[in-house]
Amino acid sequence: MKDVILQLVMAFVGSLGFALLFRLRQSLWVSASLGGVICWGGYLLAMYFSGGQIFISGLAASALAAVYADFLAARKRAPVPLFLIPSVVPLIPGSTLYYTMSAAVQGNTEEVSHYGSLTLQYALSIAGGICIVWTILSIFRRYYVLRTNRIK
Amino acid sequence: MKTGKYDENRLLHLLLDMGEMLLASGAEINRVEDTLQRIGRAYGAAKMNVFVITSSIVITMEKTDGELLTHTRRINYTGSTDFTMLEQLNALSRNCCINPIPLEQFHRRLQEIAEPKTRWELYVGSILAAGSFAVFFGGTFADGIVAALVGVLICFIQEKITGLFANTIMFNLFISFIVGAVICLTVRVLPVLNMDKIMIGDIMLLIPGIPATNSIRDMLMGDTISGLMRLIESILWAGALACGFMAAIWMVRV
Repeated sequence: MKDVILQLVMAFVGSLGFALLFRLRQSLWVSASLGGVICWGGYLLAMYFSGGQIFISGLAASALAAVYADFLAARKRAPVPLFLIPSVVPLIPGSTLYYTMSAAVQGNTEEVSHYGSLTLQYALSIAGGICIVWTILSIFRRYYVLRTNRIK
Repeated sequence: MKTGKYDENRLLHLLLDMGEMLLASGAEINRVEDTLQRIGRAYGAAKMNVFVITSSIVITMEKTDGELLTHTRRINYTGSTDFTMLEQLNALSRNCCINPIPLEQFHRRLQEIAEPKTRWELYVGSILAAGSFAVFFGGTFADGIVAALVGVLICFIQEKITGLFANTIMFNLFISFIVGAVICLTVRVLPVLNMDKIMIGDIMLLIPGIPATNSIRDMLMGDTISGLMRLIESILWAGALACGFMAAIWMVRV
């Protein structure tokens, strides 16, 4: 439990760091960094319930981040990437990329393919989750526009 | 709005400037095409054909009298993501669509948005991100502090000598070798530190995770060419990073 809280706090600080690096407006710092906490929290929950399936958990976490970002963007009237990018930062597979590399230096091909496939799974799951949410949201928006036009 | 030929050329020029700035600030391809199209229509074009990929923008404007006007620009500059700029450009485009301001004023607003900004956020951001991700992936607080210090070094190198390198691949090779060597030597002097966690914290600053994610997203949303270009770029960058770090670890074995 202590580990989980430490990870969530660090996810907050890390997302804040990226918000600064990407020159986000100061008044949006906290809400964008909270996205990182929500995303990582969602990932940990999904890992717990799916029995440790990385791809599914990453998909769920990035979908959660996309919903959060879309909600905030509509509320604060700002473009979606401002909130989405800092939110998904904790999912970026920096650690598995490192272990792929270090296995390659040691000449351990088995570990290279293991960590390499993990890196790929993370990258694909982030993009996949975002796309699923955007597709569903755009269908809803189009339906809403069509309906209001018909009423007129 | 009634405009002469000179004005239309000027408008297309400004639109290309704006598209270039949008791409540099980290906007999606979709957003750039959409923005340029809307502004063109707001300024009285009958039809706008905008084609954007990461390395070039083509705009063809069809006027109400049927005359066609095309401008093209090659994009070389890959800027660092700048969300403040993206937000301001977005606000400007929204304003222009509701109320097309004179081109003179449009030009001035673009210049204001492009003005260079303070640098301290980049340093603080690097410190926070590198330090916290070293702890996040299981390092101790001492690891986090070392990673944060190396983060300052990364930011300094990125700011001072990016211009010396022909392209991002060479630059990534260089910076990852320097960073890797510095971390290896530090761990040699202070063996209590965990080399892997420190490196992971600093890799998070260098890894092209955002471009890679954006590229897959672009492809899934239908912009296949841009997506492929960005994906291959980010794979090459990540490969260069890996080579640089591996060379450093190999040469300065702990």
